[in-house]
Amino acid sequence: MSDDVVLSLNKATKLYAGIPAIEGVDFDLRRGEIHALVGENGAGKSTLTKVMAGVVILTSGTMTVDGVEVLPKSPLEARHLGVAMVFQENSLVPTMTVAQNLFLGQERFYNRLRGIYIAAQQFLQSLNFDVAPTTAVGALGAAKKQMVEIARAVLHKAKVIIFDEPTATLTPEEKKYFFDLVRDLKKRGVSIVFISHALEEALLLADRITVLRDGRKVVTDDASKFDRARIVQAMVGRDLSHTLYGVRKTTMRKAGARVLTAQNLKMAPMVKNNSLSVFAGQITGVFGLVGAGRTETFKIVAGVLKRDFFYGGEVFLRDKPVRFLVPAPAVRAGVAYVTEDRKVEGFFETASIARNIYLGLMSKFPSGRALLSRREANKVGTDWIEKLKIRAIGDEARVVELSGGNQQKVVIAKSLAQEPDLIIFDEPTRGVDVGAIVEIHELINRLADEGKAVVVISSYLPEIMALSDRILVSRQGKVVEEFSALEATEEKIMYAAIH
Amino acid sequence: MIGVIREFVNRFLGRGDATIAVPPFDGALKPNQKLEEAEILFECAAPEDLATDGRAIYLADGPRLLRLDGGSATELRVFETPISALAALPGGELAVALAGREVRVFSEPAAAKPRVAFATGLSAVNALAPAPNGVLIATDGSMTRGVDDWAWDLMEHGRSGRVFMLDPRTGSSKVLANGLGYAFGCCAKGDGALVGESWRHRLIEVRRDGSRRIALPHLPVYPSRLSPASPAGYWLTAFTARTLLVEFVLREPAFRKRMMAEIEPRYWIVPRLRSGDSFKEPLQGAHIKTMGVIKPWAPPRSYGLVIRIDADGAPLYSLHSRVDGVNHGVVSAIEVNGDLIMVAKGPGRILKLPIAPLDKEFGA
Repeated sequence: MSDDVVLSLNKATKLYAGIPAIEGVDFDLRRGEIHALVGENGAGKSTLTKVMAGVVILTSGTMTVDGVEVLPKSPLEARHLGVAMVFQENSLVPTMTVAQNLFLGQERFYNRLRGIYIAAQQFLQSLNFDVAPTTAVGALGAAKKQMVEIARAVLHKAKVIIFDEPTATLTPEEKKYFFDLVRDLKKRGVSIVFISHALEEALLLADRITVLRDGRKVVTDDASKFDRARIVQAMVGRDLSHTLYGVRKTTMRKAGARVLTAQNLKMAPMVKNNSLSVFAGQITGVFGLVGAGRTETFKIVAGVLKRDFFYGGEVFLRDKPVRFLVPAPAVRAGVAYVTEDRKVEGFFETASIARNIYLGLMSKFPSGRALLSRREANKVGTDWIEKLKIRAIGDEARVVELSGGNQQKVVIAKSLAQEPDLIIFDEPTRGVDVGAIVEIHELINRLADEGKAVVVISSYLPEIMALSDRILVSRQGKVVEEFSALEATEEKIMYAAIH
Repeated sequence: MIGVIREFVNRFLGRGDATIAVPPFDGALKPNQKLEEAEILFECAAPEDLATDGRAIYLADGPRLLRLDGGSATELRVFETPISALAALPGGELAVALAGREVRVFSEPAAAKPRVAFATGLSAVNALAPAPNGVLIATDGSMTRGVDDWAWDLMEHGRSGRVFMLDPRTGSSKVLANGLGYAFGCCAKGDGALVGESWRHRLIEVRRDGSRRIALPHLPVYPSRLSPASPAGYWLTAFTARTLLVEFVLREPAFRKRMMAEIEPRYWIVPRLRSGDSFKEPLQGAHIKTMGVIKPWAPPRSYGLVIRIDADGAPLYSLHSRVDGVNHGVVSAIEVNGDLIMVAKGPGRILKLPIAPLDKEFGA
């Protein structure tokens, strides 16, 4: 074994109920290198990193740190070995402040709160993170929570830091900060493992890339020897580069009737005097940085959030004013909102696929149903599993057991079962593998072709440009620019989103 | 009683009719500067309306009736009062509305005497359009205010606009619709007419039996005259855009009353056909200029807009002159030999734009 290898796995295998999540994986991480792990959902990336972080214990195989064979049985043990992990689902305590979360587990016998806040402030500033240390974590947005997670890992002075989808919730500017931070850590000799579905990030940032498929390692090589097409091919075993963001739109659908108009919508402090329209038979893409008020605007439309009580503006659905205080009447009026946070708002994770979809259908009935039909639930479930090609062990599989892409399909099916006229997709492919992305994109296009009014909110520019017929750019709580698909360029959109 | 309570609650919470909100300029109404790129065909002091019989273009300029010949104009006649609307009828006849109070039909534009005249009950006729069977459709903006006093009518929440069907063969007239929020602009559609209702910011379809249908609601502008487009559909002009400031003033009766009583009308907070003439002009709470440059997206004091709409009233595309432009207050647009000829009343210009490139660019 070479001296510059800080961590390695040899024939690593982890079985769940006899089924391998990873099987015979050889992996090594060099000192001061940035190593990207890519693969479809269910490829075993998270399991592999969880093994390194002591969250999961290997069924067979060995792990070494600095040449010494180890078997961490908990994250604390792994941290003592110098391996820290920033999780995809953040592990912060929402009722505690940022500073308290940073120093959690490092408390002294006597803790002076003011001292913690000052130390946290200095530390966050050194990382260029704009987060107030006195804020309760529960009050932070997803991006800032992620920053706190990253800061905590850095604070623990780990020699190996593992990031699971670190940039999924970050804005482009925040991503730049993150990349700079990672490069800075590398200079200090820290080794980085990061999982990302954004292949450009892997190509841009990593020194080496490992591709996993179906729990096995396909290839490890220098990043310079990869391009996007080669990674995708290694990930899925087929060439998807032209179906996924590859081809620029040359035609656009004509607008049908105006389905939705928001006029001077206000919801302090996120939505400020926002006005926009959505038309039938078109995909309206909404791009903006985190905090631009995109999600909040459409949550108001769908009755998930309430606009300002006084002078909150107007929402017109098919030219009639509406004010949905809860989502149920919006569903009945033909509005479906597919959430960006599927794990919290999207489904009941311990319920079956069929039951989740059936519950979506139930919300369409004005006063619910006195009796629920198991047969009807199974039929609805089976129909949608077939329509959206949801891959599960069986119809009775629980949603928690599905991969990210299939979970997202369940959330979409739950909304489409309501037969809406206006469908709002909020980050429809976040944390979804490339194979499922293609299928979800095809579905979104099909809905627009059928004459539905479709809104796609996304922070990922290639996705917005690949899908949208018209692109609305949101900044500081309002739509500031509109582009047709044919005139839009990444530069124009980013300029409008930032300046 | 419930209505009164609802109105009170709405006023208190700023909801329903008391909402101060303006629809966005997006989709087919996405702003551009096409009107600023238009060729200036002719300039005059008080252009008002255009008409064409397919060969000649007639222009109303104050009391003068002109015929446009390329970039020049020939004066055909001068009336005793300003012309408020024009329409060319089949067979070479020309209908002229004078000061909004009278409609005269001439057998040919230079004829000494009118063949028939309509004067009874007309107050503010601002648009005329030919209809099948030789009849004439006319919009009368207000029963209480003259054709030049539209700002008063807006501030008084005028709802006395009417649509007339005038029959030059019999000299009879019939009210097709009344109670409109300033009827402005009409065009024959089926057995009735498509009519602009400026103060309600919409187009309505009025049928011969008196029934109505909203064809295009929630416009971010005040619609004005309409004309047919080929092969189907219409050109809709809008004399200016709505602003939050005017919407706010319209919901403050005490302020409005005092403003009308004490302020000189040209400085009222009302829609304008031109702006930038005086520093005393009312401002909306927004930056009009940055580093000495007028921001095109600032809240408009005046605006220029022509909308191409399809046969059902849905917008296809639009031509704009934004806040930093000049060609504002477009009140008339007609299609002649593949060109769109427009009246920008603000600067006193007749503009010309070829239609084929527009159709191609906007995919109409």
